[in-house]
Amino acid sequence: MKTYRTIRNSCQTPLNPLKGTFKSGINAVQVPFRGFRGVWLLLTFFYSSIVAKPLFPADTITDYYEVETIQMPKGLTAETDGMAIMPDGRIVAGFHRGEIMIYNPKTKTWKLFAEGIHDPLGILAVSNSEILVMQRPELTRIKDTNGDGVADEYLTVTDDFGLSGNYHEFAFGPIRDKKGNLFIALNCASSGAGIFPEVRGKLDTLGRPGRMYSAVPYRGWIMKLTATAARTDGKLHPYASGFRSPNSIGFDANGNLFAADNQGDWLGTSKLYHVQEGRHYGHPASLLWKDGFPHVTPSKLPVKLLDSLRTVESVAFPHSRIANSPTQPVLDDTGGKFGPFSGKMLVGEMDHPYLIRLMLETVDGHIQGACAPFLAGVGLRKGNNRLAFAADGSLWLGQTDHGWAGDRGIQHVRWKGKTPLELADMKLTPTGFVLTFTQPLDAATAKQLTNYQFQRYYYEYHEAYGSKQFDVKPVPVTNAELSADGRTVTLKLAELKAGYIYELELGKLRSRTQQSLLNHLICYTLNRLQRNTQANP
Amino acid sequence: MRKYAALVIFVALCGLKIPVAFAQDTTLTIRAIEGLKYDVPRFVVRPGTRINLTLDNYDDMSHNLVVTLPGGRLRVVNTAIGLGADAAKLNYVPRTPDVVAHTAIVEPGKSEKISFRLDQEGIYTYVCTYPGHGFVMYGAIYVTRKPATVPALEKDPNVSANRRDDLAGHVGHQPNHPYELKYPAIYRTFMPDSGPASIAVGLTPTQAYCWDAGACRLRYAWTGGFVDLTDHWDGNGKKPSHVIGDVYFRDRGGFPIRFGTADRLPEVHFKGYQLFNRYPEFRYLVNGIEVREIIKPLPTGRGLVRYFSLGPVAGPVYFVCKSGDGVKYRPSVGKIQDGVVRLPVGTKKFTITMIAE
Repeated sequence: MKTYRTIRNSCQTPLNPLKGTFKSGINAVQVPFRGFRGVWLLLTFFYSSIVAKPLFPADTITDYYEVETIQMPKGLTAETDGMAIMPDGRIVAGFHRGEIMIYNPKTKTWKLFAEGIHDPLGILAVSNSEILVMQRPELTRIKDTNGDGVADEYLTVTDDFGLSGNYHEFAFGPIRDKKGNLFIALNCASSGAGIFPEVRGKLDTLGRPGRMYSAVPYRGWIMKLTATAARTDGKLHPYASGFRSPNSIGFDANGNLFAADNQGDWLGTSKLYHVQEGRHYGHPASLLWKDGFPHVTPSKLPVKLLDSLRTVESVAFPHSRIANSPTQPVLDDTGGKFGPFSGKMLVGEMDHPYLIRLMLETVDGHIQGACAPFLAGVGLRKGNNRLAFAADGSLWLGQTDHGWAGDRGIQHVRWKGKTPLELADMKLTPTGFVLTFTQPLDAATAKQLTNYQFQRYYYEYHEAYGSKQFDVKPVPVTNAELSADGRTVTLKLAELKAGYIYELELGKLRSRTQQSLLNHLICYTLNRLQRNTQANP
Repeated sequence: MRKYAALVIFVALCGLKIPVAFAQDTTLTIRAIEGLKYDVPRFVVRPGTRINLTLDNYDDMSHNLVVTLPGGRLRVVNTAIGLGADAAKLNYVPRTPDVVAHTAIVEPGKSEKISFRLDQEGIYTYVCTYPGHGFVMYGAIYVTRKPATVPALEKDPNVSANRRDDLAGHVGHQPNHPYELKYPAIYRTFMPDSGPASIAVGLTPTQAYCWDAGACRLRYAWTGGFVDLTDHWDGNGKKPSHVIGDVYFRDRGGFPIRFGTADRLPEVHFKGYQLFNRYPEFRYLVNGIEVREIIKPLPTGRGLVRYFSLGPVAGPVYFVCKSGDGVKYRPSVGKIQDGVVRLPVGTKKFTITMIAE
C-alpha cells in the first residue's frame, strides 16, 4: 500500500522524474519499506505515459483538472485532521499527532505553528496569526501574540460539552455564519470501547446502550456558540440532535447549514442533512439530552416513534456506490474559477479516490437533490477529509485514514480552464427530471431513451448497521426531449414515487464537439414530489 | 505470530517433502481487528491441506475475507470496487477465477467459518474486499513443501505493511514529529488516571506532570521520562497514552484552592494557557475568580514549584495540601495547619513547592 502510494504521489509531479522526484515522492509519505520496486515502477510509468499518450483520445478528466501532491514535512505522520486557508493564502493544517503546521504555497515550505493539540479536526482561520481549532476536548483560540510566527496563546473558546474518554467522541467544525455565530458538531461514542472512570460533564448510564452512544451531554448534537458583541466567545447551545458521526459541517450559498453523517446504526446509508434549529435527524442516542424528552434509553423506543421524530436527509449517498464515509461539505464560491459548478457544494469521501458533487434544489419547501462522483480518475487519493477553496479558486484537500480506509497528506486541485461535459444540474418535474449539461449535447445520442437508465430503491431506518436496498425497481424513461440550445434534456419517467433514491446511469452521451461525458452515475434523493405531481403521470 | 510459528514447526516436523495424500486438515481463526488488520499476518500449510478458517470480526466495522490465487489480490480488490450496484449483494466479492474461497460480509461481533483446500504451491492471499480495505487489509498463505524458504516476517513483501510495522515493534524507527521535541513539551491526550481532557507536560525529558483541564488541577507528576503516545496514535486511538517513568506525586485532596471556607469545592472553568519560554501558564476560573498557574521543576531533586496568581478576591483563600500524596508542601506564604494553608488576606501571588518524599 505504502509503495503503491509513493508511486502515485510521484506521478503527480510531472517535472523531471530524475531530478529529485524519487526523493520527494518517497519522502512525502514516509515509506517504511522503500525498495527498488517502487523506483522501477515509477520509471515504467513515466515511460508508458510518454509513449502511450498520443493513442488516447484527448478527453479525460485530466484534461480539465490537475492535481498537485504536496510534499509533506519529513517525519510528519500526515493524517490531516483539519485544514483552512489563511487570509494571506497560506494553508494551515492540523495533524493527528497534534501538530498545526502552515504551508506557504509560494515557497513550498512548511512551518510549525502550534503543538500538542488533541485531534485538531477542524480549523477556522481568524487572521494570519490566529486560528480557531476544534480539538477533542474543546474549541481553542490559538494565537501568535508576539509575531514570531509561532503560537503562544491557547485560550478556551468553549469546552461546555461532555467528554467520556471514548475514542469515537470526535468534534468537528467550527464554521461561522454571517452573524458571527459558530457551529460545532459532536460525535457519538462507539461501543468499540468503553468510557473513562472519570468523565467530563454529567454521566448518564441510560445513554450507554447501543452501538454508537451518548452517555455525556450533547454527544450526537450540533451546537451553536452564539456571537457576543466583542467576540464569538458566548454561550454554547444545543442546536439540533440525531447525529451519529457528523464529519463534517458546512454552509451552502444561501447560508443553509449542512452536516454529513456516516452509514452505521440507524443510518441505512450515509447522508447529508439540512440542519435546522430544534430538529432531530434520526440517530436516537442524542435524544437523551433533549430538553423535556423522557428519561429513557432513546434507542429502546419503538422504531415507528423514532421514525416520526426525525427529519430526513436532503441527500442519501448510496453505500459504496457513491460513498462509504462522506466528509466535509464545502461551497464552491469561486465564481467559476474552479470550473462550471460554482455556487454548488462538494463533499469529501474517505473510501473512494474522488469527491462528491451535489445538485440541490428546494421541492415543496424542503431541500433535496442529487449527488455524483466528481474528479474520479484525476489522480486524487482516498481519505479526502477536509476541503478548502483558496482565493485563486483552487481546491486544497486534506487526507487522512485514522485506522480506517483512506490516505494521508494534502493535495491541491486546479481547474485547467476548459469545460468538461458533465451533468451540471438535475431538477425534479411533476413528470420526471430535467437534466442540464455543461455543454450542448449531440442530439442523436441525447434523444436515445436507452442513454437514461433509472432504478429506484430505498434504505430502511432501523437500528442494525447499514441497510440493504429495498424495493429495487427499474423505472423506464418514456420520453427524452432536448432543448434548442442542446444543454437541457427533459425526461419523462413511467413512475415517480416519494421516499426513494432515483439512481441514474447515463449512457455514452457526447457534446456537439465530441467531448464524452465523464461521469455517468447520479443519485437523486426524492423525498418529496412537486406539489402538482399527478399520481400516475 | 504464535499460530504461524506452531504451524511452521508442525510442517517442519513432518519433513520437507510430504505427499499430498498425507496433508491434514488445519483449523484456525483469524480476527479482523482495529486499524484494517487481520490479527494473523500470514500462515504456512502444505499443499493439499484443507483449511477450516473462521473469520471473527473484533473490529467496529464490517469485513470479509477472500482467499485469492497467487498474484490475484489487487485484481480482485480493484474488481470489487467496480462491482457497482450489486456489490453489497455479492458481499463485495467479484466472481472471478482469482477467488478461491470467501466469507460473506461479517458484521462487527459476528464470525463466519469457511473451508477450502489449497493443492498447488504458491503464495496465496486473504484480503478484505470491502471497498477501500483491500489495499491495506490482507495476509499471506504460504502453500509450500519447504517452509524454511519463507522469508522473515518483517521482510515479507506478501504481508501487509501495517502488520509488518506492528510486528517489527515500535522501536522508534520512525520519528514522532517532523521535529525534535523541545522541552517543556505539551500534549493534549488521553492520560491514565485522570479526566479525559488531560494535558501531559514534559518539563524536561525526565520530569513531567499531568494536568487535568476538566478539573483544572494538577493530577500527578513523575520522573524518569515523559509520555509514550504510540498506542493512542495508533489506529482509531482507542488506547490512552502511557506515562514513562515513576509517579512520585498523585493528588488526593481534590481541587486545592478554596474560597470562603476550606471544605467547600468551588466551581471551575478552564480558560486555556499561555506559553512563556514554552512553560504553559494555565488560566482557570474558580467561582468566577481568575487563577493563573505555572509549574516548574524543582531546581534540586524531584519535585515541582507551582506559581499561582489570583484575581481580586474578597474573603479568605485556602490551599489544600493534604499529606499522603507523595510530596512535602512548602508554601511561600502562610503555614500548613491540618493539611490547609490559609493565605494572608490580599495575597495576589504565592508559590507552593512540592518536594518528593
